Amino acid sequence: MIDVRDIRKCFGEVVAVDGVSFEARDGRITGLLGPNGAGKSTAIRIVTGLLAPDSGTAQVDGLDARRDGLRARSRLGILPDARGLYARLSARENVRYFGELAGLPRAALEARIDELFALLELSPHADRPVHGFSQGERMKVAIARAVVHGPQNVLLDEPTNGLDVMSIRSMRRFIRALAAEGRAVLFSSHVMQEVAALCDDVVVIGGGRVVAMGTPDEIRSQGGAASLEDAFVRLVSGAELGEVAR
Amino acid sequence: MSVVSVVFGKELRDALRDRRAILSLLVFPFVGPALVAGMLSTLVERATSERQVRLPIVGAERAPGLVRHLEAQGIVALPPAADPVGTVRRGEAEAVLVIPEAYGEALRAGRTAHVELVLDDAREVAQPSLRKIKSAIAVYGRTVGTLRLLARGLSPELVEAVAVDAVDLSTPEARGAALLHFVPMFVLLAAFVGGMHLASDATAGERERGSLEPLLLTPASRRGLAFGKWLAAFVFASVTVVLTMTATMLSLSRVPLQKFGMASSFSLERALLMLACVVPLAALVTATQVLFASFARTVKEAQVYLSLMMFVPMLPALFLALSPVRTTLVVAATPVLGQQAMLASLLRGEAVEPLAFALSASLSFALAGLVVTLTARLFRSERIVFGR
Repeated sequence: MIDVRDIRKCFGEVVAVDGVSFEARDGRITGLLGPNGAGKSTAIRIVTGLLAPDSGTAQVDGLDARRDGLRARSRLGILPDARGLYARLSARENVRYFGELAGLPRAALEARIDELFALLELSPHADRPVHGFSQGERMKVAIARAVVHGPQNVLLDEPTNGLDVMSIRSMRRFIRALAAEGRAVLFSSHVMQEVAALCDDVVVIGGGRVVAMGTPDEIRSQGGAASLEDAFVRLVSGAELGEVAR
Repeated sequence: MSVVSVVFGKELRDALRDRRAILSLLVFPFVGPALVAGMLSTLVERATSERQVRLPIVGAERAPGLVRHLEAQGIVALPPAADPVGTVRRGEAEAVLVIPEAYGEALRAGRTAHVELVLDDAREVAQPSLRKIKSAIAVYGRTVGTLRLLARGLSPELVEAVAVDAVDLSTPEARGAALLHFVPMFVLLAAFVGGMHLASDATAGERERGSLEPLLLTPASRRGLAFGKWLAAFVFASVTVVLTMTATMLSLSRVPLQKFGMASSFSLERALLMLACVVPLAALVTATQVLFASFARTVKEAQVYLSLMMFVPMLPALFLALSPVRTTLVVAATPVLGQQAMLASLLRGEAVEPLAFALSASLSFALAGLVVTLTARLFRSERIVFGR
């Protein structure tokens, strides 16, 4: 369970997030939807503890993301915006490194890697160095590495960016499986179809503020539109107009 | 502690698969000492070739005694050159000795007999030979003079009113060390070169390739990450130092230093002492490299910083060459300067106090620990994680 309360963060003059609150509950997929530059990544980085909010709190299973960072991170699996792999290591070695850093015992770790690679259809490439991998294969390694320690909460920053249809489908299956296991999944996207296809709950962010929250159906009615996309455009442009008026 | 060993293991494995890291590990130890040995060899050769001086003599038959004396001194008398001045000018001989007809008569009459030495004083390479020829002739002249005095019943001490008896304090090792004074610089440089690539790749490189953020998001302590990366760089630097030391010993053992009047007392014990002196410094150097490289956005930027750091070991080398200092405890405790002074002492064949070793090593390790802790703190800062 991820609980974000009234966070605010400025970079110099720019207010990146301004009083954002939301939660991502166990067993559900929560989508953080917003146009580029709306403050999604900043909000996610505050939840990971890499950024300290100017005010407000972010908690992971009741642990403060910044003050109790180490314990909070052990309950978090994070696919950040930067998803570089170690090109000279094989897929298995990349994932094993993160599992070892999380303190998993050797035998359990190897079993977990086999299980993840089978789920993500990576097994045939497990022992190849990753520098020859396609974009989709890299993303799969990055996500396997993020959840190798079996975290209760999973944060995914634009997990389908730049992937082809096949990879997107396999990624969706994987995300659904995570929620079915009772984990809280929070993922950010600027792609409407992604959110509509996957999410139980949606948080729409525009101009650093939450402009709407609820199930996809509720969002549609809040935006007064038939499609989620129309609702999104109305909500977000409304928020940005409000920003100018203020 | 286990985070440290996990990070250490991964960084080593990663670096050992990186051709550039391996190159920086191996190239320096074999190029540096080979350079030193090559330069020493030429110096030694030039010095030993001085033993055989070839001197064309015009009118050798007029001075059989002098010629015998010269040959006894290792100067090979050659048949006369037709044109003494031209021969020297063209560089065919370093000098030509001309014995005039009046030589024998003057000598027999007890007057000063003149000989003419045609030479080119501006030729630097000829200087050792000229010095040898001149002193051999002077010695012959003094011997004949002494005999003349004795024949007249006078003591030779009458003409030699004051004599200088030089007491040379330099041991053969010390004379050798004058030539070898750049060996410490090479061994110290090895401590700077060996871990450089790994230090920048494991910090700025991680940021450049976008793997630093995921790494910092793992439930591993920043301290553990920083110490693991430092330890890997430290091991690389230490291996480079050991290789450089070994290669230096091997290549110096091929240089005929003894011919040059130096005892090459490069014993194993002395080499181990030198390592004990430099390896702790490598700990501090690599810790500083990891810290500096953490500020850089790209590997290239990091390498600029780390290359600038290489001037550090050169400064004390210059300083010590200009004004040698005694290896006091304060000097020994100063990082880089201390190691340089201790290495120079060891090469000169002097003993170094165990306390100086202990002080220098513990200070280096303590500072290294401090610098790595500072790096771990940096990893908490937003500016460092996201590269400003």
